Amino acid sequence: MRLKKTMIDKNKKPRVAIYDFTDCEGCEVKLVSLRERLLALEKKIDIVNWRLGQERFESGPYDITIIEGTPIHHHEISLLKELRENSKILVALGACAALAGIPGIMPEKDRKVWYEKIYSSQYHPAGVDAVPLSAYVDVDFAIHGCPVDEDEVVRVFEELLAGKTPSYRGFSVCFDCKQAGNPCRIAEEKKPCLGPITQGGCKAVCVSGGSPCYGCFGIREEANIPSLVKILEKIADPKTVERYLTMFHNRTKEILELKDNEK
Amino acid sequence: MLIIKTEKIDEFLEELKTNFSVFNIGGSLSDGGMSFKKYFFPPVEKIFSKTSTSNVEVMKAPKKFILLGLDLPDLEALTYLDEIMQNPNEDFFYLQKRKQSVVIGLTAENIDTAPGGDIVFQDVGETKYRVWENTAKGKKLIKKYKRFFEESDINAGADSDGAPQIPNNESLGEWSRSMRELLLDSEFLAKAVEWSRDHPIWDELGKKCLGCGICTYVCPLCHCFSIEDSVGLDDKCSRCRKWDACTLPDFAKIAGGHNFRPSIKERYYDWFYHKFVRGYNEYGKSQCVGCERCKELCPAGIDIYEILSVILKDYKKTLAES
Amino acid sequence: MNNIYLPQLVKITKIIEQSPTVKSFRLEKIGGRFEKDKDGLVFKPGQFVMVGQIGYGESPLGPSSSPYEDKYIEIAARKAGTVTGYLHSLKEGDKITLRGPYGNGFPLDFMKGKDIVCATGGCGIPPIAALVEYIIKNKENFGRVYVLYGAKTPDEILMKDKIEEWKKEGVKIILTIDKPDKNWKGQVGFVTDLIKEIDIDEANAVATMCGPGPMMGALEKVLRPLGISDRRIFVSMERKMQCGVGKCQHCTTGKKYVCLDGPVFNYDEIEKNHD
Repeated sequence: MRLKKTMIDKNKKPRVAIYDFTDCEGCEVKLVSLRERLLALEKKIDIVNWRLGQERFESGPYDITIIEGTPIHHHEISLLKELRENSKILVALGACAALAGIPGIMPEKDRKVWYEKIYSSQYHPAGVDAVPLSAYVDVDFAIHGCPVDEDEVVRVFEELLAGKTPSYRGFSVCFDCKQAGNPCRIAEEKKPCLGPITQGGCKAVCVSGGSPCYGCFGIREEANIPSLVKILEKIADPKTVERYLTMFHNRTKEILELKDNEK
Repeated sequence: MLIIKTEKIDEFLEELKTNFSVFNIGGSLSDGGMSFKKYFFPPVEKIFSKTSTSNVEVMKAPKKFILLGLDLPDLEALTYLDEIMQNPNEDFFYLQKRKQSVVIGLTAENIDTAPGGDIVFQDVGETKYRVWENTAKGKKLIKKYKRFFEESDINAGADSDGAPQIPNNESLGEWSRSMRELLLDSEFLAKAVEWSRDHPIWDELGKKCLGCGICTYVCPLCHCFSIEDSVGLDDKCSRCRKWDACTLPDFAKIAGGHNFRPSIKERYYDWFYHKFVRGYNEYGKSQCVGCERCKELCPAGIDIYEILSVILKDYKKTLAES
Repeated sequence: MNNIYLPQLVKITKIIEQSPTVKSFRLEKIGGRFEKDKDGLVFKPGQFVMVGQIGYGESPLGPSSSPYEDKYIEIAARKAGTVTGYLHSLKEGDKITLRGPYGNGFPLDFMKGKDIVCATGGCGIPPIAALVEYIIKNKENFGRVYVLYGAKTPDEILMKDKIEEWKKEGVKIILTIDKPDKNWKGQVGFVTDLIKEIDIDEANAVATMCGPGPMMGALEKVLRPLGISDRRIFVSMERKMQCGVGKCQHCTTGKKYVCLDGPVFNYDEIEKNHD
């Protein structure tokens, strides 16, 4: 997934739209929590459509469209396709949009069990499985995270506004984790962690807070997933390893490929 | 001989803290295994900034600070890193911070000279430390705080042949000792690692290594970096330098997309090659001090001593056969 | 303490569009760096400079102007990444940053008294241009001089006016194109026929190469059949470069640093390196 040559014009205020599909809206809250930096950003861009943030809903075309969440209804899917047509640059915001994330954990047949329990068998859901935005449309760049990291959001905007092609982090969460001074979960504590195969830039907030890394920042370029799986299977049962790998990545191509190879 | 009593050390440190920032390295695995390196060569460091109309501004050095607790391998690593950062070109930003620091080593090893740093406290048992004043900077600091130090004859109980009665309370682990023994013959290691390029062990390691970069981050001698520029929302431009790791996929990838080391196997071999071959070629010794951090902190459990042992064994065999 | 990473700001005095994607930039000469050496050279042909801007990064580029020119240096950049994209957005009078010159350059002393074949392709012409300028100025020290220059399309041939000047100075120019248009009357590709056009004393000839793709074609199809041994072929190598001064480790190849020991290497030496 690389940004095509659709850099924005440095000399013009880009028209930006922020849309959201199915998700918890936590990443948009992160945009709001940019506070002063959102105001600084607002001077450089023209946010013409943001349901959650303002009462201004102009239609496209847009220079940059930010999409949070993942579509699970056919209305959402056609809106997504329409937005793609109407946007120079389409950016996925957060794990749901980039990876399918938490909504992607449960496939339809598992959801059915719960629908019946909660809403009775009379209920006919219209939803489809959550998959990454990239399963429907070309995504120019993904700002990863559950939720996204404010500094990363700012970095991506800074790069776009300077006429650069935003770049993915080539390093793993381990770089953030070492900077945070954490002991290594895998090497020292013998606990599972997806840090080594996950893109950095998250400041290792989870590991610093005592949680494992579940890979919400996306699989790092050319990550050695099979080796990590072998390592994790030595310190945890296969079910746990599976749970780690499918927390955010149940529907990503890297993990689907891994499952295919196992078969 | 200058000594400091154990009970005075805390007082000395408290006193230092009133005048300087004091950072304690602790053991080799504290701070996530980050060594002294980050104080002179931070993981991410802004080096230049500029507005659209200004000239290039150079980031200023930090205030004077004290770095404490480097053990024997770290002191050796510091001496070596100083050399790397001075030759063949002077690394301005490393030396800028190095100049602002006073480094105090702490070892229980039996040393007959200070292996590096400005001052070394050598644990000689009986609640006292022998004090090695290694540099003018170190001497100056001790002179300023001389009330914490005293002259004492630790040879008082010398045995018949006059050797000092320093208890041999060696602090390094067995792994470090074995590794350091291999490192004594850097030339042989260089030849063996160069020879091993087609050894099947690199295929195995190419499968095993996660390429996460931890070994390079915790190594007190690894010093790869990348340059990262940004244009801020306030239009202020800056240039950072940031640790890189030669095990990461983009390390030798050029703008057109060609990657000169496309596989983990090639990248992992390059890490070894730099440590034991290129490094030896440039500075006359392996770029390793046997601190054990990379082995302790590798999530894949890769042990460089084991790898070298396999290579050396097969290299010796080849030499014997030819 | 000298700061090896600190660039100087220099003014762009002239921008020339060389092709749809390549522009060359004339940079005012600045004091301190780029002083003439004992031979009167401001830099050695084949050396490189780091050009860029704080906020955008730096790119290693080989100057194309005459090394004797002490009022300015010229560089050429193809719009490819962040830095070159930024350079292309600039206008005359804007300032950019400059460091260098770095690296070894072509082995001028070794080349003296010999026939010279310069093979290059696309954007690899600038350092070769500086070398040709040097050779022209020291004509009496060199034998026959050939420049083999390959480009994808006629549009992508850079420094056309310079090439005309070199012809007048007796340099033999052979242009080749991968995809000719209907007006193209020259060679297509580095074909074996080229050898017939080259008349050198192969035992006393040196070849210099710059530019990765077409270069290898030239090597296999022209230089080797001409009988120039690997030991007398010098290649300007390309590697990822960040610091330019031998610290960051990105440009290493075997025991060598492209930024310090190169960028010009003996072909024989390159063959021995594992990466």
